[in-house]
Amino acid sequence: MTRWAMVADLDRCVGCQTCTAACKHSNATPPGVQWRKVLDIESGEFPNVLRTFVPVGCMHCADPPCMHVCPSTATGQRSDGIVTIDYDLCIGCAYCAVACPYQARYKVDRPRFAYGSAAMRMDSEAVREDTRRLGVAQKCTFCADRIDSGRARALTPGIDPEATPACVNACIADALHFGDLDDPDSNVSTLLRRHRHFAMHEAVGTGPGFHYLWAKASGNGEQPDDPPDPPRTDAGTVSPGASPWLQRHWDWRAAGNFMCGGAGTGLAAFAAAAALAGTAFMGFGLASLAFIATGLFCVWLEIGRPWRFINVIFNPRTSWMTREALTSGPLFVTGFAAVLFESAVLAVLTALFGLVFLYCQARMVHAAKGIPAWREARVVLLLLVTGVVEGGGLFLAANALDIVDTGIETAAACVVLVLIGLRWWLWFRYLAALKTAAPKGALDAFDGLRLPFVLGGNFMPIVLIAVGLLVDPVAAPGLALGGLAAFAGGWAFKFTLITRAAFNQGFAINRTPARGGGRGGPGIKPGWSMS
Amino acid sequence: MSRNPAGADRSIATYCYQCVSGPDLLTVRIENGVATEVAPNFTAAEVHPAGGKVCVKAYGLIQKTYNPNRVRSPMKRTNPKKGRNEDPGFVAISWDEALDLVAGALLEARGKGLMDSSGYPRLAVSFGGAGTPTAYMGTFPALLAAWGPVDFGFGSGQGVKCYHSEHLYGEFWHRAFTVCPDTPLCEYLVSFGSNVEASGGVCGVKRNADARARGIKRVQVEPHLSVTGACSTEWIPIKPKTDAAFLYAMLHVMLHEHPRERLDLDFIKHRTSAPYLLGRFGYYMRDPETRKPLIWDALTDSPVPFDTPGAEPVLEAPFLVEKGLEIGADGQEWHHKPERCMSAFEKLVAHVEPYSPHWASKVCGVPVKTIRRVAIDFLEHARIGETIEIEGETLPLRPVCITLGKTVNNGWGGFDCVWARTTIACLVGALEVPGGMLGTTVRLNRPATSRQASVKVGPDGFMDYPMNPTDKEHWISRPEVRNANRTLIPLVANSPWSQALGPTHIAWMMQDNAPDHWPEPTVPDVWIVYRTNPAISFWETEKIEQTIARFPFTVAFAYSRNETNHYADVLLPECTDLESLQLIRIGGTKYFEQYWDKQGFALRQPAVTPHGEARDFTWITTELAKRLGLLAEYNHAIAKGAAGVPLKGEGYDFSLQPDASHSVEEIWDAICRAASAELSGGADNQGLDYYLEHGFRVAPFPKLDWYLYPSIIANELRFELPYQERLYRVGRQLANRLHERGISWWDSQLEEYDPLPIWKDYPGLFERALAENFDIDIDDFPFWLVTARSMQYAWGANVDIQVIKEVADNIAGHGGVVINARRAAELGISAGDRVEVRSPIASTRGFAVLRNGIRPDTLLMIGQFDHWATPVAKNFKVPSMNRLTPMLLDLTDATGSGSDLVKVALRRIGGPQ
Repeated sequence: MTRWAMVADLDRCVGCQTCTAACKHSNATPPGVQWRKVLDIESGEFPNVLRTFVPVGCMHCADPPCMHVCPSTATGQRSDGIVTIDYDLCIGCAYCAVACPYQARYKVDRPRFAYGSAAMRMDSEAVREDTRRLGVAQKCTFCADRIDSGRARALTPGIDPEATPACVNACIADALHFGDLDDPDSNVSTLLRRHRHFAMHEAVGTGPGFHYLWAKASGNGEQPDDPPDPPRTDAGTVSPGASPWLQRHWDWRAAGNFMCGGAGTGLAAFAAAAALAGTAFMGFGLASLAFIATGLFCVWLEIGRPWRFINVIFNPRTSWMTREALTSGPLFVTGFAAVLFESAVLAVLTALFGLVFLYCQARMVHAAKGIPAWREARVVLLLLVTGVVEGGGLFLAANALDIVDTGIETAAACVVLVLIGLRWWLWFRYLAALKTAAPKGALDAFDGLRLPFVLGGNFMPIVLIAVGLLVDPVAAPGLALGGLAAFAGGWAFKFTLITRAAFNQGFAINRTPARGGGRGGPGIKPGWSMS
Repeated sequence: MSRNPAGADRSIATYCYQCVSGPDLLTVRIENGVATEVAPNFTAAEVHPAGGKVCVKAYGLIQKTYNPNRVRSPMKRTNPKKGRNEDPGFVAISWDEALDLVAGALLEARGKGLMDSSGYPRLAVSFGGAGTPTAYMGTFPALLAAWGPVDFGFGSGQGVKCYHSEHLYGEFWHRAFTVCPDTPLCEYLVSFGSNVEASGGVCGVKRNADARARGIKRVQVEPHLSVTGACSTEWIPIKPKTDAAFLYAMLHVMLHEHPRERLDLDFIKHRTSAPYLLGRFGYYMRDPETRKPLIWDALTDSPVPFDTPGAEPVLEAPFLVEKGLEIGADGQEWHHKPERCMSAFEKLVAHVEPYSPHWASKVCGVPVKTIRRVAIDFLEHARIGETIEIEGETLPLRPVCITLGKTVNNGWGGFDCVWARTTIACLVGALEVPGGMLGTTVRLNRPATSRQASVKVGPDGFMDYPMNPTDKEHWISRPEVRNANRTLIPLVANSPWSQALGPTHIAWMMQDNAPDHWPEPTVPDVWIVYRTNPAISFWETEKIEQTIARFPFTVAFAYSRNETNHYADVLLPECTDLESLQLIRIGGTKYFEQYWDKQGFALRQPAVTPHGEARDFTWITTELAKRLGLLAEYNHAIAKGAAGVPLKGEGYDFSLQPDASHSVEEIWDAICRAASAELSGGADNQGLDYYLEHGFRVAPFPKLDWYLYPSIIANELRFELPYQERLYRVGRQLANRLHERGISWWDSQLEEYDPLPIWKDYPGLFERALAENFDIDIDDFPFWLVTARSMQYAWGANVDIQVIKEVADNIAGHGGVVINARRAAELGISAGDRVEVRSPIASTRGFAVLRNGIRPDTLLMIGQFDHWATPVAKNFKVPSMNRLTPMLLDLTDATGSGSDLVKVALRRIGGPQ
């Protein structure tokens, strides 16, 4: 077997960006797209300061989350470990981009030129323009074309330049190396044997195919048994591009899917309960389906290749987005059938599909390993519960405002009350888990959610609904306002979760390198709290 | 040369000489006639010290070629008014009209005489730094040679942004226009602000990365943690302009805190001036008969001439010389009868006695123990007594070195630093030997192609040096050019590089007011600029602009519009890197880390058709020569080697027909043939076709020639250190000459001609100069503002290349003003805030970049930006220190250099944008 891998010697790297530029040349990437780049990370406090240059890009993980989440199977993995993208299959949903803990994926929706508009397009851009890359995900390929054409000519990647990735060829410090990890005698295997090394974000568990050397295996005064992953610190300095930043791949449109989908499926659950109690399903059923459809429409607006939307169903094996899409089919069929035939059984079935749909959404968020606030396991239950609370809140409000009279509003209010309490508890559990598992930016975003969510979305609804239940004269306004507040709080949370707290993983190093005859230093995880 | 890895049509070999650390070799991929990709030239992997690779700047060449903002055709100015706010009204014209315009102006000037009423050349020419333009201007040097006197003195950064003290004193002491460690062997390197990882080119990066892998310890001493500091074993943040104090303390530790046996006494005795005896007036005590300096011979226990065979010099003892002669300035002589003398070594020991680590610590802001540790580590790594075999010769091995960066090397204190570090090298015998401190190239001595051949026996056992005369008979009392380089700077010599190394800011300064007893300032009748933008890259840039605006006729070879050619009368678009033809020398040893074991030639060839109406520089030059009636002189200059290679040598002559106009290809074919002949000792004569196909050609270059030590031994010479008797005399003579003319405004510079430099509180000197010249309270300007190079931009003339900006922004500091994070917090400044930086002469604005790797009393502005006319760059909103830095005679040292340093105030003016 072959496992292609990249090795970066942090002692040798000088941050010159020659690899960055060479990659841009070789792969004709547009302005702002850097499949390979070198970070400039500072650590320590004056005067004891270190500065490390860290090449990054697609890590061609052994267990690539980008591939698992990809709904269209556009992202694949070759038997030699290279993670690939089929531009003709990709729908441009950017799910892979938020699933990547290395921020390695880019999506460019419109042609970009170095000097501005199309009128300023250079010959060198025109001759290599590739419209297949528009609106789809793109990233480092390990220059697979060079590897393949080189191997076809019996050349050795990593040794023979014509079979070697452009960044490695260009590296003027000989800091970048490429080769076969499965070959114990290969250049990269030898380097790893002779040096102390780490992979980035190992705790995320993706098995990156990119390794960083930070010291020789012996010598440099280091002890062989030094902990490989020492405590990380954040000196609060500015390291361009290294600290987590707010992802922009999924914006209000993606948030809209989770907001509408959650509220719609929650509403469907209460509507089904009401149907069982004898209330017609039509009103709430159509409303819930409308919510879900609106959410899906929002997503459709977001994807880069909307007319390839059908490709979303190609990966039921691992992608929760595919599963969400596939669930939406029976959900809508049973939903419309329940409306058409006024069948409580079909309504219940619809609600069940709705809950599956909601579960898929929650798992979708959780599977996005590139966003720490999303990948935290406790987000799943929180999203499930808040979806049901949102639907329940709408259900209560509709009842209280006499839009519909289901006769189960008191029972529903009790259920909602309990669920809000549960949501609140889950929220605190979730936050507690995030404290050491999310970047400062995400925590700051959630800090800003205290008023609208904790107070307005949980505490206030509990009080209002409880008062509504206990004090008959104010039952209607109490339940209506409480229900709406519970609904609004849930939406505020999800909007924040997707668009404001969605700070990506950023970059980190386990160790700063031993420079020359010096010693290595502690690692750093910029933009994260002390841990 | 063609290859086809992934559907490439073809691949063209060429070279990159964007920066002084080149040239390096590369290939360009051509698809459908369009250049698309730059890549290393791996066919040169065994030839080139960095494996045939090029740095990031070369990857800007594709965009450079197709940049839509290029000047597409010759243009002439239609608005006679010149000013920043005046639209030049450039209109496209034909090449014929453009060349006629330029030739007409030149002929008109020539008709009035080559020199003007003040004795200055009527033609002035300015090129970008470090000689790199020469690798792109084809045969233009031949036209300038054919023309006659030209004023090259209007610099664009030379003298203030170069390694000036090193250039001059380095050439003087060890044929080292630039200095480099013997990186492949060096084990301990103290680098004072030398930013080799940013400006050392691919060879520098590769050799230093190899050295780190080998375990070299590099200590980086500088106010901010540069890219090079980042790659070093240790960073020592030092207060700006106090490097000399640190170095003096190292000398103190070595001479006062350790036994003499720790030094390389053999080297000191036999290869330096240390044993020379000194008279009471500070000159060497000489043998009255031979007039040679005396040393004390341990074998005869008597003073003997320094070159007495078999003499064993004594460094320290009570020396009593019965009869001696001192020769001072202007032939003044003192005959001494029994006279107690000190040796130069003893004088040195006494000289550095006050400069203890405790003293230096207070000056530098560096802990005492750190200074002492560095000095001791240096000693311990020197391996005194060890040898190494290089190509069959046994040489000393001294793997220690000290390097100096810009600003350290420029202006006041530069001499001190260069002297101290070279003296330290002498103390441990690490000068010009394997592992130690080496020169890379010569630019002032001759021949420029060989450091070894430039070693000629001079006076008193030292190398000869082409010092400009200071004696009464020969002193050049009337400046030949506007920066008066040969008049004021004896060390600057008289090579083609000398004008650019003179006090280049004086040419600009004196355009406003000539000092007393000095020729009236005149503007050049015609000013030609190429690959330079002094309106951005010099100091006090607004003043520079005002001066340029007064120049009556400016011709700019123009790639794109910029701040200098905004004032031009004619713009000439020349073919750029991938469009034109030129052969240059490669290999041997060159700055900064170009140490090859090959030498030869590389061709830059047209990979694509020229953009718009751009023309090959050689074509433009030949057309001008024709119109000026200088074809014969021009062809003669080419034949003499003005285009890089003499066409005539032993056994070959490829000279062109003198009176004819030759095509670009004919000219370079002849040059290629001469190059082949030179390289093969006349055996081969392959012409242009060979180089078009192969790209380069080399022959072996002996590694032994990396070191000057063998030449010193062969010529029985000594390095002229530590005592500067010759310079002391020259300084006194220069003082006499100037004072005879009533000139006293150069007096403070004359004080620098100390035989042993004395610390002069250089930070205080800066502060006093600013306070006195601008009537300010210096306490209102609490920060030192410094600059640094970046590999992406250094020398690259590439600010309008989008991809360079894109990748440069990955490195901290390119986006604004770098401030110590804690200090910024104290001032209420957050990352990305808009800040104003104000010096006594101007202010500028930028975004705050917070880093911990900078002293709290220092600000950093990387590179030279602040553009307002150059496409792309004018949108950067990145400040430059050039606008803030005054040109002051008070801050000009004896070599005519100034430091890139100014004191500034800082305030927040707004939040992020």
